[in-house]
Amino acid sequence: MTDLAKQALAPPRSLVSGDALQILYRLLAALLICVVLSFLSDSFLSLGNILNVLRQASLMFFIASGLTLVVLTAGLDLSVGANVALSACLAGTVIQQTGSPTLGVLTGLATGGIIGLLNGMMVTALRIPSFIATYGMLWVLNGLTYWYMAGETIHGFPPGFRQIGSGYLFGLPIPVYLLLIFLAVGTIFAQRTTWGQEIYATGANPVAARLSGIPIARRLLLVYGVSGTMAGMASIVFLARLNSAEADIGESLTLPAIAAVLIGGTSLFGGVGTVFGTFVGALILTLVLNGMNLLSVNASWQPIVTGVIVVLAVWVDMKTRRRTS
Amino acid sequence: MSAAVQPAGDAPVTVPLLELRGISKEFPGVRALDDVSFAVWPGEVHMLLGENGAGKSSLMKVLCGADSADSGEFYHKGDKVRVSSTADAQKLGIAVIFQEFSLVPYLDIGQNIFLGREPSGRIPGTIDRRRILRDARRILDSIGFNIDPSILVEKLGVAQQQMVEIAKAISQNARILVMDEPTAALSDRETELLFALIARLKADGVAIIYISHRMAEVFALGDRITVLRDGRRIDELRPADASPDQLVRMMVGRTVDMSYPRHFAETPGKVLLEVRRLAAASGISDIDLEVRAGEIVGLCGLAGSGRTEVVRAIFGADKVTAGEIIFDGQQTSGGPDQAARRGIALIPENRKSEGLAPLRSVADNLVVSALRKLFPSHLFDPRRAQRVADGLVKQLRIATPTSRQMVGLLSGGNQQKVVIGKWLATGAKLFIFDEPTRGIDVGAKSEIFALIDRLVADGAAALMISSEQAEICHVCDRAYVMREGRIAGQLSRSELTEENIVRLGMHHA
Amino acid sequence: MREAITSLPGNPLQRIPGVAVTLVLLVAVFGSVAPGFLSPANITNVLVQSTVLMMLALPMTLIIMTEGLDLSMGAVLTFTSLVVAIVSLATGSMLLGLGAAILAGAVFGTVNGWLVATLGIPPFVATLGTLGTAQGLSLIISDGQSVVGIPHSVRDIYSATVAGVPVPVVIALVSYAAFHILLYHTRFGTYIFALGGNREALKYAGLASNRLLIAVYATGGMMAGVAGLLMTARMNSGHPTAGLGLEFDAIAAVAVGGTSFERGNGWLFGTALGVIAVGVLRNGLNLMALPSSIQVASVGLLVIVALFFDGLRSRS
Repeated sequence: MTDLAKQALAPPRSLVSGDALQILYRLLAALLICVVLSFLSDSFLSLGNILNVLRQASLMFFIASGLTLVVLTAGLDLSVGANVALSACLAGTVIQQTGSPTLGVLTGLATGGIIGLLNGMMVTALRIPSFIATYGMLWVLNGLTYWYMAGETIHGFPPGFRQIGSGYLFGLPIPVYLLLIFLAVGTIFAQRTTWGQEIYATGANPVAARLSGIPIARRLLLVYGVSGTMAGMASIVFLARLNSAEADIGESLTLPAIAAVLIGGTSLFGGVGTVFGTFVGALILTLVLNGMNLLSVNASWQPIVTGVIVVLAVWVDMKTRRRTS
Repeated sequence: MSAAVQPAGDAPVTVPLLELRGISKEFPGVRALDDVSFAVWPGEVHMLLGENGAGKSSLMKVLCGADSADSGEFYHKGDKVRVSSTADAQKLGIAVIFQEFSLVPYLDIGQNIFLGREPSGRIPGTIDRRRILRDARRILDSIGFNIDPSILVEKLGVAQQQMVEIAKAISQNARILVMDEPTAALSDRETELLFALIARLKADGVAIIYISHRMAEVFALGDRITVLRDGRRIDELRPADASPDQLVRMMVGRTVDMSYPRHFAETPGKVLLEVRRLAAASGISDIDLEVRAGEIVGLCGLAGSGRTEVVRAIFGADKVTAGEIIFDGQQTSGGPDQAARRGIALIPENRKSEGLAPLRSVADNLVVSALRKLFPSHLFDPRRAQRVADGLVKQLRIATPTSRQMVGLLSGGNQQKVVIGKWLATGAKLFIFDEPTRGIDVGAKSEIFALIDRLVADGAAALMISSEQAEICHVCDRAYVMREGRIAGQLSRSELTEENIVRLGMHHA
Repeated sequence: MREAITSLPGNPLQRIPGVAVTLVLLVAVFGSVAPGFLSPANITNVLVQSTVLMMLALPMTLIIMTEGLDLSMGAVLTFTSLVVAIVSLATGSMLLGLGAAILAGAVFGTVNGWLVATLGIPPFVATLGTLGTAQGLSLIISDGQSVVGIPHSVRDIYSATVAGVPVPVVIALVSYAAFHILLYHTRFGTYIFALGGNREALKYAGLASNRLLIAVYATGGMMAGVAGLLMTARMNSGHPTAGLGLEFDAIAAVAVGGTSFERGNGWLFGTALGVIAVGVLRNGLNLMALPSSIQVASVGLLVIVALFFDGLRSRS
């Protein structure tokens, strides 16, 4: 109690304005990386490369945005990559069979959402810890996807549909517009709705949240459902971008998405973080990987670097948590 | 009182096994121990009595080296010693039988007894499990505990686990055992076994410091009794020279130095909460109570008597196994979210871990329960939330630089105001308080009581758990006293005295 | 010495370990549905194929008993199998290859343990990071290609027999025996129960729980090294991605075998049965000509079901 009394008398230090500060630091970091890369590589600042970075970051962000909500509740969804794969394959099939991109989009979103809800039910009703439940789901989805595709590829989608992933509007790739939309929607949902506030409260202290009258089970189902639906959303954009669907497109998506969330300042322990922060995190990671590509670093180093950054980000988060608590 | 009284015994022992002189310990704002002297002789059971907060656990912590005293001296068999760590205490042969046992669930009894001291087997690197079982068997027999040492601890009941803890202590040559309410979770038969064990230990010259609230035990087992109150040693006497009433009076008498702003209503309002034959898996049963608008009803009893369990069951935080809860004329069931929506509010015992999100702001914490009420469209307006929060801060006089301050940095009293405040915005009609003034300084306590008084004057009802009998007596219209998971009795305003509460709450023979 | 069996109270039927029931069911189902399942050749095949998984599942049992998890085992296995291939190719010695692999595995394991114990990073994050690292390093040292032309001494490990028993099975049996002794007859093993069941108890006994925890993860890494030898022997080459994902089968085997993720409740024999169960499941589905993708999905379902029942058991 002595420590608290002293701290209460000390100059105020609130966590809320700290949020904006944390994002600022990360934006500065991103800027720094840009400056360094522009010196190290001539082609970094080329229009083509910048647009490429933005597009890649968008794709990473779609998955990471829904994941942010899950991590805010101190959970984890390891199945997002596999979710994207299955959703893409099913949506692709529907587009090919029916010729209707709309039906395809709906299929992708529905598949993602259902998977998300299943994850949510394992966590709330079956009380399985989220990382185990979604890890098991990851393998189930993987298996289903590979079995369904039976080694084949679906390709060739209607040109109108492909615009979603490869098209441009006023010089910017369409995914970037989608990113801005989802950034806005995500931020509004998290910061400007009662559901969002309840999600923050649930992550910050689940026991107190429950005793404050928040229906935690319903909120958890919501966040896992949203995370799954966003993976479904991402699958559509991938489909449109790659103009094909294969069983393995999800393999390398999960780790970067988690990394983006953690780099962006969302804490694994819940209650702290923003969707905008995840965007900056996606940007930073994409810049780093882009830089490695431009400098012709062996692609095999990418998962290593991502893994190391994840561990670092968690360590930094734990250190700062201990200081403020 | 004079120096330590010598116990009766055959061999003349001139020096106590362990003696504490002038022990004091202070926490900010609270004197936990004030010049306490205490001596233990071999082969005796020394009973330690006192209310919640009298200083018993502080004394035990100092004794076993988990905490250090601010001043005072330790003497072991007459020699001055320092006890500044648990290792020091262990070397002197002091062992505390923990309430939360230090046992490993999926190891067997023998392995638990010898954890860290396993004897080596013939093949280098291995341990001799047969010898562990043999030695464990010997120790268990020596304390009269007839059980197969190869049984996993996880399979044992609480009573048996306690026996294993005692066996562990004995195997480490403990000569002074500290037991904190050891019979709290035991059946009558298990209690008999424990008493038989204590008799053997006594015969062996082991000293036992025994904390208890059960008068029957105190007089049956005790060789000497020390009563603590407000951190001071009130007296030390032999059971033969004392009576239960006398002991109760010693435990309870206290100078009142607080103001309790309370305006009792002339006529009670309508019944807001009615509880009938309530039972829960948490260990309460057959609970009948009612609370009316305009009343503050107290819920008393010793720690562990089931008070928190009752209010949690009412609030829906724990599963109800039998009985009914009728709130404002309607049967209620379901979880905390439904209780909150109907208008029941819970201010929990541990405000930091159960009542607040310490890393979030004061404003966030103040509006969290009322979100649906304040923003029916589900669109959250931070500025309106801020205004509501600022209003509550002003109304409750919460001391914080701004409402954006992290709530974990506030003082205890102000944190409690935030917890209460978060329910004000919901328009709750029944406020349940679990130890609302624990760990709060005197000034803030008065403010909290004034606040509760205002709430019920405006037509709400309050159910209040408190371990401070003085509070209950000054503030409550009436009170229920709990004992071992049931309601032991009800006290009307005129019957509401500290002594009555303590008497009803303790286990009389 | 008797192992402590995690049997259940009350209903006598409940006292039969779930994994035994699962195994019997699987054998019964596949025995009747899958062609050639019960032939001696196939049964031998199942046992031999399961040995690599056994190498991983044994230490994984210990790690899960400490309320931890090692997601990097599959990737580390990939890396160590490459190490065996590369080193034995370069030196002509199978033993040097094995030694190098065990060393490499030990390094990864120690890093895992240090991240979890000293830095306090949640195990799944820490090992997720190591997974990425091991995966990347595997691609780098192999240049993305298989490593072929390794000495016969390595391949012979897989096909040789000792008194009619295939060498891999012998290695698995010896490993099992070693882990049994470790867990039930040494101090280290005793403390593992405490690491998961009541870490405070170690503190009161004056023992350093951090160092013990690191040692547990390091053991996992070393066993991945031994498994690397078996895998390289089986494939007669080192492959840059073989072995990825095997940690999942290992976790499945441990979960199905009855070890729970909390409170230090572990059963080594259950894990062994779980390994065989997973092996039977994959083999049976294989014989039914179902692709490996369905196998993987089934193992996933098996884990979820096992955990669900584990949750039911601990709450009843």
